[in-house]
Amino acid sequence: MTATATATATATVAAVLDPPLDTARHIRYWQRCFRSLLPHHYTSNDSIRLTLGFFILSALDLLSPSSPTPLITSEDRSQLRAWILRLQHPHGGFCGSPHHALPDAFRSRFDPDTKTYVARDPENANIAATGFALLCLGVLAEGDGSHSLRGVDRVRTLTWLKRLQREDGSFGEVLTDDGRISGGRDMRFCYIAAIIRWVLGGAEGDKALDFDVDALVGHIRRAQTFDGGTSESSTHESHSGYAYCAVAALALLDASDPDSSATPNRYIHAGIPSIPALVHFLVSRQFAYLDPSDDGKEEEEHYHDIALSLDNTIPLMAGFNGRLNKLPDTCYTWWNSGALSLLGEQQLINRGPARRFILEKTQHLIGGFAKHPDGPPDVYHAYMGLAALANMAGAEGEPGLAKFDPRLCVSVDTATKMVKARETMLRPVIDAE
Amino acid sequence: MPAKNKGGNSKAKEAEPKQQVSAEQPPKEAQTIREFVWQQYWSANPIHKIVEEQGLDSLSPADKQTYLNLELVRNTDKVKYLSKKSQRELWKQLSEANVPLRGAPRPRDDQWGRDKKGRDIGDYTLEEYAVYEQKKSRISELDLESTFFKRNRDRAHWETKNATTGEVYIITEDDVRAERGRRQEMAALRSELYGVTSNPYVNDPEWDDVVPIPQEEPEGAIAAISYAEDYAEAMGYLRAVMAVKEHTPRCLRLTEHIIDLNPAHYTVWLYRFDIMKALNIPIADEIEWLNEVSLEHLKNYQIWHHRQLLMDLHYPALQSDEDAIAALAADEHGFLTEILEKDTKNYHVWGYRQYLVRKLGLWDSADELRSVELMISKDVRNNSAWSHRFFLVFGNPKQSTPDSLSMEHDPKVPADIIDREVSYTQEKISLAPQNQSPWNYLRGVLVKGGRPVGSVREFAESFITSLGEGEDKEQVRSTHALDLLADIYKEAGEKEKADLCLRRLGERWDRIREAYWEYRRRKLEE
Repeated sequence: MTATATATATATVAAVLDPPLDTARHIRYWQRCFRSLLPHHYTSNDSIRLTLGFFILSALDLLSPSSPTPLITSEDRSQLRAWILRLQHPHGGFCGSPHHALPDAFRSRFDPDTKTYVARDPENANIAATGFALLCLGVLAEGDGSHSLRGVDRVRTLTWLKRLQREDGSFGEVLTDDGRISGGRDMRFCYIAAIIRWVLGGAEGDKALDFDVDALVGHIRRAQTFDGGTSESSTHESHSGYAYCAVAALALLDASDPDSSATPNRYIHAGIPSIPALVHFLVSRQFAYLDPSDDGKEEEEHYHDIALSLDNTIPLMAGFNGRLNKLPDTCYTWWNSGALSLLGEQQLINRGPARRFILEKTQHLIGGFAKHPDGPPDVYHAYMGLAALANMAGAEGEPGLAKFDPRLCVSVDTATKMVKARETMLRPVIDAE
Repeated sequence: MPAKNKGGNSKAKEAEPKQQVSAEQPPKEAQTIREFVWQQYWSANPIHKIVEEQGLDSLSPADKQTYLNLELVRNTDKVKYLSKKSQRELWKQLSEANVPLRGAPRPRDDQWGRDKKGRDIGDYTLEEYAVYEQKKSRISELDLESTFFKRNRDRAHWETKNATTGEVYIITEDDVRAERGRRQEMAALRSELYGVTSNPYVNDPEWDDVVPIPQEEPEGAIAAISYAEDYAEAMGYLRAVMAVKEHTPRCLRLTEHIIDLNPAHYTVWLYRFDIMKALNIPIADEIEWLNEVSLEHLKNYQIWHHRQLLMDLHYPALQSDEDAIAALAADEHGFLTEILEKDTKNYHVWGYRQYLVRKLGLWDSADELRSVELMISKDVRNNSAWSHRFFLVFGNPKQSTPDSLSMEHDPKVPADIIDREVSYTQEKISLAPQNQSPWNYLRGVLVKGGRPVGSVREFAESFITSLGEGEDKEQVRSTHALDLLADIYKEAGEKEKADLCLRRLGERWDRIREAYWEYRRRKLEE
């Protein structure tokens, strides 16, 4: 890869699309992930298999323009749909993996107070798993996608989601048997809650099913930090991953806002005290990449030596970090650029150097992307790398990849099918009004 | 058809005197168990040896007769149908031939099987085979004892009385321990002999009453993981005990095992917490265990959530005892310091630290302020430490408005605090002017204090020389100073100067963000 880097350095620096993305290599990587078992060091991801599954399926979806034959066959689709629906908890929400899905006998109990059957193991239904299950169903859609949500229990899932919201507007991860909301006050849960609400049409039909949108917006609003970034929750350190989650959550609230034409981006404006400060924070995360020094200095220290541009050329490669003074990491190319896209400021990213950093430094020979330069690829960073490339290309699209929807972090095609699926699912709900 | 002869037997073939049935060959000492068994077989079947090696026709008539007699006696039950006379004649002939009547069964090539390394057990030396046999019989012995244990445990369960002594059967801790030892020994022996692995829970008598619920994994599932076998087994048991909400010490130990293999398991922590409450496990014990786990899994998030739940549980009992709170705070502080030394920017640890400050009211704790100051002086670029400082200073309820946003003026913050923070930050900026953390902090302090950015104009200007006066003259020691100056000039209505700052950032000093600085220039016009 060093040879390529040197060659590129001498060749034209200005060409944004240099080097091109070798999609064949990535297709091979993802097919391996798709068709064979993930190695045992993924064991600590056992509880988030739906999340891993989403990365695998959505990556193949993004790469589909580069393959003459379908990467996910029709047979795969129906089989996987069935697998995902089996993870649905009978009392709402989805479980993260088959290890969290108990046999039916252990999932319901009779509640003498309400005289109804309620969840016996509510803690197995997880907010992240639910969001990713819905997105997976979207990616697996057949035809125009109208029927991809068939089998999802909309009412129970929305009811469950509503119970996961705390008074301060934040969301927990799971409900416990005694009705407690468990989990941190984590901005990722806010984003996932907004995904579920949008997909299942929480804003449509019976208002009693919808969660407290204003409380959520208030919670997100409190998470903007003194440096313009957004934290996991109020007063924590600013972090671009959480910033993306905050902005994307607000964007999804806007997407189902009935008055969106009158007040476009109403929630984005309500939920971010200072958009310019957030933009400042996000664009500041990009910086020139330096090859590791040989003088034995800690890598972060090495960066501090050369913080100002030495001359007036644009750096060849520039990665992103997620927090100040941290090292560049593939996924932050996505989190930062994704958040900026949703704020309508994606053109502020310097795309050429950003592309080059991940393609020349973190892309792996066997396909996929690693977290840091020269590391091994993993499913998460491999997806975030593709998402970054597809997103930074905007409407014109990255050659070889599908066009991208930064709100849902899926292809535009999948997002369009999900709109169809919503319409089909919501037709009886809206007709009933 | 004669079977292929094995071992030393075939080597000795050429030297054998033909037709010499009863002649004793001095047997070559067997090297392997296979040779040994063949030797035994041949020594009991001397005529068969000749038949197999040289054919029936090579036998003398007498030997042929003996051979047929032997076949009749050994392989059929037809002797009894012979006439008495014929029977007498038969036994007489056999007696005269002086051959063993009982023959060992003819060895089969596959009768030994292979060991776990794929080696044919028939190729074992006699010593090796003796050890092997010994181990096999040890397994049988243990297995039998294990059967007795299970029977006695059932009897104890039903409070059955011993028929001879009249006493009720009991199973003691020692019995269970011995049984566990037996099963482990059997498992080790089986693994040694046959390469079969058995799992820890099956080998533990304490888990005999639990029927595991294994994961159902259809073909073609997504993101399937090649779990280690012990993980799959332990998960089956975990699911079984969680499903019935069993809260016992063995379950607590099981959660430890699962957490060690998969600390990101989102329900095992909740389950553990419930067990702890049910068993009244002292918080100190749990914290001690948790400390170890935390140091092992630095990036895990559930660990810190669990710790928070523990504090929530523990706190009400301490609330009125100032000394106890102080002791707890000191312990926690010690551990946080230790873990932050390993990873100074660990997000979860800093998050927990904020929680702790709120929970235990450590706003004015000398430990807290001093240690953050120490961390900043060790690494002035540690943004996590800066962020914590902001939280300590502007979140302190004594000197701030509750729920004041980070980005808004808080009139309750005393001016001397703002002064202190401004000068502290300026001092830190001077150490590393291109470090963005304190520049952001400085802006944050000014906003909190409701002060104009212009109040640090001179300070910001001190990092810039001869801006816009030509490449050879212009010096910029910090792009962040230039960035701040653009806002300072804008605030002062000096738009052109502000524009110059932004232009120079894009043109020369911060090229990567040229589009951003152009965007800021456009914003100046708005």
